[in-house]
Amino acid sequence: MRNAGSPVMGADSHVKVWDFPTRVFHWTVVSLVLTSWITADQGFMKLHLWSGSILLVALIFRIAWGVIGSTTARFIDFIAPPRRVWSYLRALVTPDKPLYAGHNPAGGWMVVALVTLLSLQIATGLFANDGLKFNAPFATLVDSELSDRLTQLHGELFNFILLLVYFHVVAVFFYFWVKGENLIGPMLHGKKHRAHVPPDLNLRFTRSVIALALLTLSAGLVWWILRP
Amino acid sequence: MGKISAGVYFGCVAAATVAGFGVMMEFRPALAHSVREWVGLEKPPQVRSNSFYAMRVAPLLQEHCTACHGSGREKAELRLDSLAAVLRGSKHGAVIKPGDLEKSELFTRITLPASNDKFMPPDSKPPLSPDEVKVIKLWIAAGASGVQAVNAIKGAPPPVVQVKFTEIDEAAVLRQRAPLSSVVQQLQDRFPGIIAYESRGSADLELNAALMRTSFGDKELAALAPLQDHIVWADFSGTSISDASGAALAAMRHLRTLRLINTQVTDSTIQALTSAKELRSLTLVGTAVTEQCVAALRKTKIRVIR
Repeated sequence: MRNAGSPVMGADSHVKVWDFPTRVFHWTVVSLVLTSWITADQGFMKLHLWSGSILLVALIFRIAWGVIGSTTARFIDFIAPPRRVWSYLRALVTPDKPLYAGHNPAGGWMVVALVTLLSLQIATGLFANDGLKFNAPFATLVDSELSDRLTQLHGELFNFILLLVYFHVVAVFFYFWVKGENLIGPMLHGKKHRAHVPPDLNLRFTRSVIALALLTLSAGLVWWILRP
Repeated sequence: MGKISAGVYFGCVAAATVAGFGVMMEFRPALAHSVREWVGLEKPPQVRSNSFYAMRVAPLLQEHCTACHGSGREKAELRLDSLAAVLRGSKHGAVIKPGDLEKSELFTRITLPASNDKFMPPDSKPPLSPDEVKVIKLWIAAGASGVQAVNAIKGAPPPVVQVKFTEIDEAAVLRQRAPLSSVVQQLQDRFPGIIAYESRGSADLELNAALMRTSFGDKELAALAPLQDHIVWADFSGTSISDASGAALAAMRHLRTLRLINTQVTDSTIQALTSAKELRSLTLVGTAVTEQCVAALRKTKIRVIR
């Protein structure tokens, strides 16, 4: 499924590291987590359900994209053994800066943790109720006591999501101010300066049409799961 | 390399985190209370056992709210099972603003129209009665205190008295009725519908001879002599009894209510009733009993209706 073309290594000072679907996924998750937070806080539960459902589509897409997507999107590319994570963290406090095109070893586990937590968050949310008139699609399939417990867990899990987001943001600004590397820009336009990527870079990008097909399948699956 | 050192950066992060917590506590009063209590800057509110809160408000919250807002369930992260928790509020903020009903979400919720999605208690749970709402209203308006004495807040509706019915010991009742049960049965058969037990738990009898009108007279009353010690309520209105029944009536020593409307009895019968020590109500409308006799009765505990 990979692009059969040559690895992307332009002659200019920047090199493409993030594909379009991964970038869209990232900012979609940012906006949906924020939307879900606000809608739950303000009691707009129908919007909250929509927000959570779209997030579920995005997560299913991302998990699949992590298997068949571009090099930097693949789990196999960024899930590192603990020893490598520890070495990476130790190197961070030295003047040296380990170079990674995509997620660094710690960031890779952050992705895993966030995807896992968000999945749990959505799973519990599907059985939740707001104690008033709103019941999530699966809330009536279990007794009210279990639904209440899952609702409580749903609320508590969100604190852990916020904690991960906090660490993520602290790490991003650590890179910006301490390591002198802007991680936000590449997540917007997809390119990193050559100075911040390994010299022997060999990335391959999966075609966006594959991503579109995968997204359609994900949306269809979510519609099938949540159909009335 | 970057613009600042790792040490400076993490120092700034720590400062920003503390400031962030400070800001968050502004929006999360429940968290703010918990943190202040935890670091000892705030003491949990004091509650006295004779306070308006303990005696009037807490039982209402217990009855209507704590199933969903208690130790078992904490919907909206709100608990209403202690004054500290009530004042701490929910994840959306304070639910009580002492002295300010308009800004007290709890009061707003219980006074919304029942059709409103935010009405509490939700679903088909019984709403607070107007008196219960008034108790909450008075408490918040008076400052939502845990120490203000129960009688310090004026205008509160009286508390609902819990009435507990004792279980009837049917075996004991049967034992009490046993000595006369066959006689009662016989007389009930002879005079259908006019003899009944006073209650399910009693061996005392009520006699409603008025139902037989003039077909009930002195002879019929004499036939009821075996029951005389057990009759506590008797109505002879419109019957044909006369002073000849004076002795039979006087023999009903446990009689509490006697109605003699439109009968032929006179002062002699009434004077014979002095042995009915438990008699409290006597109705003599339409009789020939004299005012002089009634005046004498009015000096006793008997309430005479004439």
